[in-house]
Amino acid sequence: MLFRQAGILHTNYTQDRALFPIPADRWMIGGLLLLAAAAPFYMNSLYLSSYMLPWLVWTAAALGLNLILGWAGQFHLGYAAVMGIGAYAAVHAQRNGVPWEIAIVLAGLTAAVIGSVFAFAALRVKGLYLALSTLALQFVMDWTISHVPAISGGTQATLQAPDIRVLGWAITSDAGLYYVALVWCVLVTTFMLNLRRTALGRALVAVREKDYAAAVIGVNSFYFKLVAFATSSFIAGVSGAVLIGTFYHAVTPEQFSVDVSIQALAMVIVGGLGSIIGSYFGAGFILLMPGVMNAFISWLTAQFGFSLGIETLAHLPHALYGALIIGFLLIEPLGLGKIYGNIRDYLLVWPFGYVKK
Amino acid sequence: MKLRSIIGGLALMLTSSMAAHAADPVKFALCYDLTKAYTFVTPQVAQAAKDYAELLNAKGGLEGHPIEVIVQDHGNEPQRGIECYERLKREGVMVFDMLSTPVSRAVLPRVMKDGNILMQSLAGRGDAVDGDVFKWVFPIGPTYWGQAANDIGYIKQQSKGSLKGVKIAFVYVDYPFGQEPIGILKTLAQKEGFDLQLFPYPLPGNDQASAWTQVRRFNPDWIISWSLSNMHVIASREMKRNGISIDKYIAVNWLNEVDIKNIGADAAKGIKRGTNVAGGSTQPLVQEIIKELYDKGKGNGDRKNLEDVYYNTGLAIWSIGFEGARLAIKKDGWPLTPQKLKDGLESIKGFDANGLMAPVTVTASDHGGGGKTRIEMWDGTKWVPQTDWIASFPEEVWSVVKEQSAAYAKSDANK
Repeated sequence: MLFRQAGILHTNYTQDRALFPIPADRWMIGGLLLLAAAAPFYMNSLYLSSYMLPWLVWTAAALGLNLILGWAGQFHLGYAAVMGIGAYAAVHAQRNGVPWEIAIVLAGLTAAVIGSVFAFAALRVKGLYLALSTLALQFVMDWTISHVPAISGGTQATLQAPDIRVLGWAITSDAGLYYVALVWCVLVTTFMLNLRRTALGRALVAVREKDYAAAVIGVNSFYFKLVAFATSSFIAGVSGAVLIGTFYHAVTPEQFSVDVSIQALAMVIVGGLGSIIGSYFGAGFILLMPGVMNAFISWLTAQFGFSLGIETLAHLPHALYGALIIGFLLIEPLGLGKIYGNIRDYLLVWPFGYVKK
Repeated sequence: MKLRSIIGGLALMLTSSMAAHAADPVKFALCYDLTKAYTFVTPQVAQAAKDYAELLNAKGGLEGHPIEVIVQDHGNEPQRGIECYERLKREGVMVFDMLSTPVSRAVLPRVMKDGNILMQSLAGRGDAVDGDVFKWVFPIGPTYWGQAANDIGYIKQQSKGSLKGVKIAFVYVDYPFGQEPIGILKTLAQKEGFDLQLFPYPLPGNDQASAWTQVRRFNPDWIISWSLSNMHVIASREMKRNGISIDKYIAVNWLNEVDIKNIGADAAKGIKRGTNVAGGSTQPLVQEIIKELYDKGKGNGDRKNLEDVYYNTGLAIWSIGFEGARLAIKKDGWPLTPQKLKDGLESIKGFDANGLMAPVTVTASDHGGGGKTRIEMWDGTKWVPQTDWIASFPEEVWSVVKEQSAAYAKSDANK
């Protein structure tokens, strides 16, 4: 009904391989893009600057992690460290007079180089051992940042980031920063959407499913793992730089600590491995839900006049939030993206549900 | 009879709520980490802020304006701290405290840009005491550099005025909090001629064994320790194991009665800490709060927290905050602006909240309020002050502050 498939006939390969063959999907994406582009005009600045903007940047970052985790099937517990490399690289470049547009590319390249140099060593092992060695990357980065004043910016361990300028325009308004984040997120999303139908994407999936089998059919699994690490590190590095430029305005080691790595991992797992829309949901859920829960509980207590202790009030949202994660993963282990997929599948044939069976 | 009392109660509630509406409240935002890393201190501080606000409100508030304390959890996550700041700033709050180093650092660029007051006692950048550079930041209380210098000042008193040949071990948790005093200690070691050695141990501080065997070999006369809460308990165990006497141990201000209990009140006899507030519930201000609130069953939390030094730390932080706001209203009148609040805070002179803390004098260039601390010793049942409120080596401390803040000012100007 909504997602009508009747009358969609492909007469050539290009049509057949279109990103969104069903018109309803195209309409929805177009509508969402319009809504996103018009957000500064109807959304108040608090929501724009404190919810939408970090959500978009984190979605881009989560997509990068999804590339390595969901597509190539390689565990990465040090993702925040890679973002941190990018962030520090960009801020140092900017402070040395490099324009921001070039600084973020440098950030991506630095992260990609360090990320893949590390991958050379880490990829000799698999599975849980790989997870542990990526965790080592995290701790090595933490240690390096806090022990090399030239990187961290002295004992205060915080570096002020210069304001970002794009093509000579200084961007300081909430709306301007939001558009920067939006553009980056859309770019990464487009890349990931297209990755699915390239040789690289298929090779990554082959490696994920079974690297021996992939080797048997002629896919050099080590090479493709390395490419996946480099690409995902590049996205991480730029996302880290964008996060600092648009949101934090100062870089400190805690912004990219091991907790943040775990959070990024949670975004991908809750959102759904290998799911693009899932990364949006996952980032939104992990990033914004604690705040939303907090506000909800405060509102509830105010509404019904409970007087809860300060600590109870602070812990309750966390308990609820945890319960929600467990609940969602119980309902659908493949994540929020899959829940969306199920709903869409249902609507594809609705109201003729028997067609599926 | 019963009905009448209910009606009476309702009427009272109505009039009191109307009275509250009569004057606009002064809002203070406590965006605290109540769930993750800082939970050893934040509940007590928030409780103290609420108690003291209630006490002042009962006396008519700040020049007739009631105080409203807003507490929100940020879980030590920078982005949630920023959300708290952005949300509450739009609700008319002008004074913020994050009580977390990562979050204070993350909020600082926004505070400096918007021109709101950031109270950041005992957390965040130490060089923010330089009011000429950090116009909107008030880290009232000692910096870690100041505390370390005061510890050295105390040791100098104990060694009869000369530190030549005295062996001092600096044991610290190896991340920015612990590393901060190293610079000033090295400078002072050069100036005073004492023998300084550094003993880092890694986060989370549960394993300090290797550091302490090295300390044993060094055989120091004094040990200065930059550790947080339970790390002191681990340290005491390692000291016992290595046969190092605990009365050589001088802790940073993050050592409270819970930790003493965990070490064992008797085993901890002789341990020392530097502090800018007097601990215990015998302080006049705490007594007043007990009389007016807790004895009437109106306290804002667990009564046993009143024994905790962090409760007094909270009282110290917020009595200064409220006093600054009161002075602001008194001097420049309602409605308040951040500029008026800043002027109010900068006109605090010799304020010690009825003997609760070291007297604080804030000026436009010194936002730290003097940075005085004293050394206290645990005698098995209570803390005994070993010194007056002192601020040692102010020149050296300020030269570190100026050096750091100049670097910030330079990077800010480069924007």
